[in-house]
Amino acid sequence: MDLEFSDEQRGWHDAAVDFARHHLCNDVIAADRDEAFDRAAWKAAAEFGVLAMPVPKAMGGLGLPITDVIAVMEGLGYGAKDQGLLFSINAHLWTNTMPLVQWGTPDQRERWLPGLLDGSKVGANGASEPDSGSDVFAMRTRARRDGDHYVLDGTKMFVTNAPVADVIVAYATIDPKLGAMGVTGFIVDAHAKGVTISKRIEKLGLRTSPMAEVVFDGVRVPVIDRLGREGRGVGVFESSMEWERGCILANCLGVMRRQLERCLDHARQRRQFGQSIGKFQSVANKLVDMRLRLDTCRPLVYRIGRLKEAGRDCTVEAALAKLHVSDCYVKNGLDAIQVFGGYGYMKEYELERDLRDAVGSTLYSGTSEIQRNLVARGLGL
Amino acid sequence: MTPTPDAIEYELRRYLLAEFLPGESPANLRDDTPLRTGGILDSVATLKVVSFVEQSFGIEVEAHEAGVEHFDRIVDIAALVRRKRGR
Repeated sequence: MDLEFSDEQRGWHDAAVDFARHHLCNDVIAADRDEAFDRAAWKAAAEFGVLAMPVPKAMGGLGLPITDVIAVMEGLGYGAKDQGLLFSINAHLWTNTMPLVQWGTPDQRERWLPGLLDGSKVGANGASEPDSGSDVFAMRTRARRDGDHYVLDGTKMFVTNAPVADVIVAYATIDPKLGAMGVTGFIVDAHAKGVTISKRIEKLGLRTSPMAEVVFDGVRVPVIDRLGREGRGVGVFESSMEWERGCILANCLGVMRRQLERCLDHARQRRQFGQSIGKFQSVANKLVDMRLRLDTCRPLVYRIGRLKEAGRDCTVEAALAKLHVSDCYVKNGLDAIQVFGGYGYMKEYELERDLRDAVGSTLYSGTSEIQRNLVARGLGL
Repeated sequence: MTPTPDAIEYELRRYLLAEFLPGESPANLRDDTPLRTGGILDSVATLKVVSFVEQSFGIEVEAHEAGVEHFDRIVDIAALVRRKRGR
């Protein structure tokens, strides 16, 4: 597979690196400690165009091909220290904006998309619940039809962006007896009566991306804000996960490349026992492994982009990419710390935060175990 | 072209074998083989079948029609298709 950037992709990628270095590196050690969401950086990202990239021009977006979007995301991952903010952007894009693009009615797009694209509104996604994580379609949140409204009752867990959200794409069942066939998508105004951000959740990594539990208590959602048909929420949700699995990993590629470059510089310059530490085979081997992992991850991520551009299903390919990249991301994070020795363990060097940020990748958008299930199903097992 | 009654079962069998039972002998998938209760289809897979049925046979399946009653056997799915098409 040809992984060279086109001139246009190179332009986008390099602009993204430059943007990220200037706007997404603002005292991240303190922001990480304080779990601070950088609203100014969010607005700057919107002005740069990140929130509009994959959205068709006819809907007010930039209409970039998905491989170009992946190139931008790789550049942002490479240049940004604030990976939490990038995680928030990904949640906003793939689990909120794109479901609206793909499944929304013209009226829904007209009412909701402008604010999501210009960054004045923050999107979130409510699927997981306290008792249904990987088994997401066993959800208990109910949607009861009442005239020209649905009434939502239930609790959503691990909602990225919830404390700062304006719009939540939420899933509820119209009848638990229907199983997955009862799950239905809704566009919920996060400021509507009955929506409560009940408990902010503190995390190991990606700490600048706020997360909370959300309670729906008799929330009235107009029928015109049902997303897709009744009972077809699984399709909406699965398509959003496919987007997210593919594109959120592009940020990881950028981080892995930055880590490798830092480690190579360090291994060349740091001298112990009279020679650079890179001359020691045990250190060099780590760098070789880091490079190998990066080189095996990139084709998997860009393959998703090409399949999507061709309009082909990529459930299995997205799951394979998610599984492999997240595993390599964590391993490279550990190796980077080991190459830096004691310095790597210190916050000041910002490698320990990379590792903490990486761990979540084996969990979000479906755990590694779920990705294996998806691949196994695709193999007809 | 409107498929004949037998063609409905044929199309369903072909789809199920290709999508969910690759490598399986066609003889092992009968019209009365239990799909949901037999573990061939889970709930998400059933949704794929529902989408296939809607697209292939030009009908709309409501949420309450996608349970075991109508989607456990090929013969049940075909009966639903015929009923929906007024035959």
